[in-house]
Amino acid sequence: MAVTKVVMPKLSEAMESGKIIKWLKKEGDRIQGGDILAEVETDKADVEMEAFGAGVLRKVLAPAGETVPIGALIGVIADPADDISALLASAPAGAGAGGGSVAPAGAASAATPTPRPAGPTPSAPPASVVRPAAIVSAPAAVPVAGVGQGAQGGRVKASPLAKKIAAQTGVDLRLIQGSGPGGRIIRRDVEAAGSSAAPAAMPAAVAGAEFEDVPLSPIRAAIARRMPLSKAPVPHFYVTSEVAMDRAWELREQLNALEGQPKISVNDLVIRACALTLLKHPGVNASLQGDAIRVFHRAHIGIAVALDDGLITPVLRDCHAKPLAQIAVEARDLAERARNRKLRASELSGATFSISNLGMFDVAEFSAIINPPEGAILAVGSVRRVPVVDDTGLGVGRRMMLTISCDHRVMDGAMGARFLQDVKRLLEEPLRLLV
Amino acid sequence: MATHKFDVAVVGTGPGGYVAAIRCAQLGLSVATVEDDRPGGVCLNWGCIPTKALLRNAEVVTLLSHAADFGIRLSGFEADYAQAVQRSRKVADRMAKGVEFLFRKNKITLFPGRGTLEAKNVVEVKGTGATETLEARAVILATGSEPKSLPGVAIDEKTVISSNGAVRNERAPKSIAIIGAGAVGVEFGDVYAAYGVQVTLLEALPRIVPVEDEEVSKELARTFTRRGVTLKTGVKVASVKPGGAGAVVELAGEKLEVEQVLMAVGRAAKVAGLGLEGLGVQLERGFVKVSPRMETSVKGLYAIGDMAGAPLLAHKAMAEGVVAAEAIAGKSPRPVDYGNVPSCTYCRPQIASIGSTEARARENGREVAVGRFPFTANGKAVALGETEGFIKVIADKATGELLGVHIIGPEATEIIHEFALGRTLEATLEEIIHTIHAHPTLSEAALEATLAALGQAIHI
Repeated sequence: MAVTKVVMPKLSEAMESGKIIKWLKKEGDRIQGGDILAEVETDKADVEMEAFGAGVLRKVLAPAGETVPIGALIGVIADPADDISALLASAPAGAGAGGGSVAPAGAASAATPTPRPAGPTPSAPPASVVRPAAIVSAPAAVPVAGVGQGAQGGRVKASPLAKKIAAQTGVDLRLIQGSGPGGRIIRRDVEAAGSSAAPAAMPAAVAGAEFEDVPLSPIRAAIARRMPLSKAPVPHFYVTSEVAMDRAWELREQLNALEGQPKISVNDLVIRACALTLLKHPGVNASLQGDAIRVFHRAHIGIAVALDDGLITPVLRDCHAKPLAQIAVEARDLAERARNRKLRASELSGATFSISNLGMFDVAEFSAIINPPEGAILAVGSVRRVPVVDDTGLGVGRRMMLTISCDHRVMDGAMGARFLQDVKRLLEEPLRLLV
Repeated sequence: MATHKFDVAVVGTGPGGYVAAIRCAQLGLSVATVEDDRPGGVCLNWGCIPTKALLRNAEVVTLLSHAADFGIRLSGFEADYAQAVQRSRKVADRMAKGVEFLFRKNKITLFPGRGTLEAKNVVEVKGTGATETLEARAVILATGSEPKSLPGVAIDEKTVISSNGAVRNERAPKSIAIIGAGAVGVEFGDVYAAYGVQVTLLEALPRIVPVEDEEVSKELARTFTRRGVTLKTGVKVASVKPGGAGAVVELAGEKLEVEQVLMAVGRAAKVAGLGLEGLGVQLERGFVKVSPRMETSVKGLYAIGDMAGAPLLAHKAMAEGVVAAEAIAGKSPRPVDYGNVPSCTYCRPQIASIGSTEARARENGREVAVGRFPFTANGKAVALGETEGFIKVIADKATGELLGVHIIGPEATEIIHEFALGRTLEATLEEIIHTIHAHPTLSEAALEATLAALGQAIHI
């Protein structure tokens, strides 16, 4: 029977470490593949960790409350008869791999394409998982024309030496523009990033009445780290359009009056309209991948959900193939679980486009920051009753402002405008959303 | 007198010049080359290539004299030095013709004669016939270098010879004093010793091949001494005068009587008579000062190769030629990485190195890990009967960065490129050890020396 190493999984794009909230299985428990072993707090959400092997949970190496880097061994599943002493001997007690020394090439490092954090201490609060230096250095390390490689997903192109120095000095390779062939990050890039970060080192926390330093929550830290990766290197442009929502409003009221049907929100209509339009305009459903543009044939839409301490964008997959009622049910479920931090890892990544709706805050219009590697995001304002002029004169109409933020490397203004025009048309002729 | 217009004029067709010319032609530029000797320069005609032919002869002679080790009984053999030189000339001729062929293939016009800059973009060529004038958008100077001598000692190419004479002379002297134990000195020392010449190597610094790692110098000194070469290091030559069988070399408190003296104390850039002064081209320690794009202080005028500074190596010149050509063609070439130029010496055993010596790495304040592996423990080397030497790998202890590699032994000059590539890619010890090396090969010693730096060598 095989021995299964249980390692801290990479549950989201930006995740570098995870905190064991609690083990749902204890040592000696029999495990089936797919059993939920533990709950893990990542930088974005609390997720359940599944078992990938069967046997007995022989050893738990990272107790609840401990934060460990991704890829680190946290438990062993094996037959009662299997000898796991060698495996246990190779794993450092407590927090697992990490630390400042050169990591041996083992299972842990093989599973970790990105450098591990410099050295999280087992008892440290989650905030310490995020390296302050990386955040501080972010604006300095990202050149104006630069492309944070991590922002595009996939592996970071860096020389072996650059990776080692980065791991030892705590430099985040995803924030660095490589100067080697094909944008490869080489030693001097890491050294330059390290030295530029040094003078900007975190000021010593000052305790006093004048202000208070609130430690970044994992989710706030992730946002702080991710957003400069979008806003600085991704050249955004914005296209805004006003949509007459009178008919959509009417339709929604009719649908919601139907017995036994799920309640439809304005946002569900927008999701459905975007999904259909994305298939028609694949150039907007696209992502810059190094020297190619990846055009997606399916519409996986990220739906921004506000949380108390940040926001999260769970992904509603294959929206183009789902009727309005299904979108409504699934979107509501996603949002609820996002607020309760009960999202599955698979629901946190893979969006091809995102929608952010601040309509509930009575916002007329706003513009959103693209969530890389996606190529665009739609910002949705409130449906407002405004004076409108039509053939019959002055009247009152329902209007909604849509602003799309587009990655100019992937698409141009006219593409964004045509996309928006078709979304507007679908919403203004909302029966089209039902067929 | 005629004026010809080209995009680029290249003065000098050694390894720097001809490579620059070909790269320019590849990039669609019209190219003229100027050469007052034969195409190929010193390297192909009087340096690298013919000496490699002579060293091969030396190797064959040595191998034959050890025929009994292989169970082959020879009833004597005769090694004719004149024929060795003739063979080396044929080899050089063939390579020079190869350059002429490449010029034709790339539609590069060759103007035989001496080139002088009349203006920064005008080269006047004085050949055997009429004077020609070349007008070019950009000019690449690649005139190379020539042997230096000691102050007060004239090279007559008879008694006191330079490498130029040594590759031409069809008669080997009975005895020779070689002044300077760098690459040129030890290579000719190897050739002459194989042909029974009594060789004395004189070196002012404390050890032979003084730029190499100390352990390499020690190993070479051991094998040269075993082959009957006399080594005198840390000695200063006071004078070289005619006398005795040929010349008397005066050292501090000692006089050396030899038939010939070979000056191998270094080379000087050929910058005189090119018209550089008139244009205000800046020099630095006798070499033309250039930018990373190989442009001189005068815009549109480029200099590459030996004349543009150390290291004086053909492959460095070639790399610079490519950079200059691409810069002229409007590309943004990657500058030459002068810290990563392999250095090769073709004596037996061969020497090849890249990066820092152990002493230099430590001077730079690095905490180093050193791995060594001797060819005596390498199966292929034992089978070949070539077990002299070792590979030494110097790495940064914290990161495994390859700081320097020093090889002395069979085919050292071929093995070094694994490490050159590794350094270009910024590989660390780990990438080398995770690269499977075929068995049995000499290159396995490279793997083992790398493993040794991590304390993991298998075969020792």
